[in-house]
Amino acid sequence: MNIQFKKGVLELCVLAMLDRKDCYGYELVNEISKNIAISEGTIYPLLRRLKEEGYFITYLQESQEGPPRKYYRLTPLGKKTKEELLMEWFRFVKGINHILEGDEELA
Amino acid sequence: MRKAEFLNTLEQSLSNISVEERNEILYDYEEHFQMGLEQGKTEEEIAASLGDPKNLAKEFTVGHALKRAETDTSTTNVLRAVFATISLGFFNVIFILGPFLALVGILTALFAAAFGITISGVAMFGGSILFPFFGWSMHLPFSIHMNPLATFFAAIGTTALGILFIIGNCYLSMYFYKATLQYIKLNLRIITGRRV
Repeated sequence: MNIQFKKGVLELCVLAMLDRKDCYGYELVNEISKNIAISEGTIYPLLRRLKEEGYFITYLQESQEGPPRKYYRLTPLGKKTKEELLMEWFRFVKGINHILEGDEELA
Repeated sequence: MRKAEFLNTLEQSLSNISVEERNEILYDYEEHFQMGLEQGKTEEEIAASLGDPKNLAKEFTVGHALKRAETDTSTTNVLRAVFATISLGFFNVIFILGPFLALVGILTALFAAAFGITISGVAMFGGSILFPFFGWSMHLPFSIHMNPLATFFAAIGTTALGILFIIGNCYLSMYFYKATLQYIKLNLRIITGRRV
């Protein structure tokens, strides 16, 4: 699938995952790359940008094994953006499905 | 590629970014390697799935350049943003740089004209004042011989006009600057789906 297309929906994926629970970087990257074929490194620039936009904050937390991990937590703004993107996404998918199934009512 | 090589390349490619921010970025990737190793992957495997560090650095650099151009609106910062965006390979250099340089050229010409008018006003002003005393050594337009007072006021008018022209150009440059940034962002958004 087209790489630009994937990048566009990555933002929604990240926000949706963080809406369920706080995650650390590797967790996010791992989960995304398990489902979508994308070069893993590009998720970190995205995380950085979304953090600068104020969609989430980061904090360090000790872990049993190894050094402390950097966790990401969604802010209210991030939550709101996630809801908006989610709506947009469903509307988009619905529209595409209508076209693919050749639904006459839409026309 | 091994971990050290990956991080070194990344660090070198991030030279445009402040030390503090660079260290944060490097920390993220170090953490990623660390956890990958704990999961039993090899350094080569992790580096391969992360992708080319030079390309990653470009993504960081573009975001950084755009952010800086927004907070500190100097020409260098806008140019940096333009070049960083070009380096991502998104636009054809001719398409963005051609119109950009043409507009910069027009603005430069407008400023030159404005300064020219201002200077001529000041010169007329000086001429009309000095003529009564040093007229014998000066070659001046006929009007000053005829009517120094009128020339004096015309000089003030011309100077004021020139200054107004300069101020107008400043506003024009500001709009141009904002439009350029918007244009770059629009492109980035269309091509990558990023919200910049």
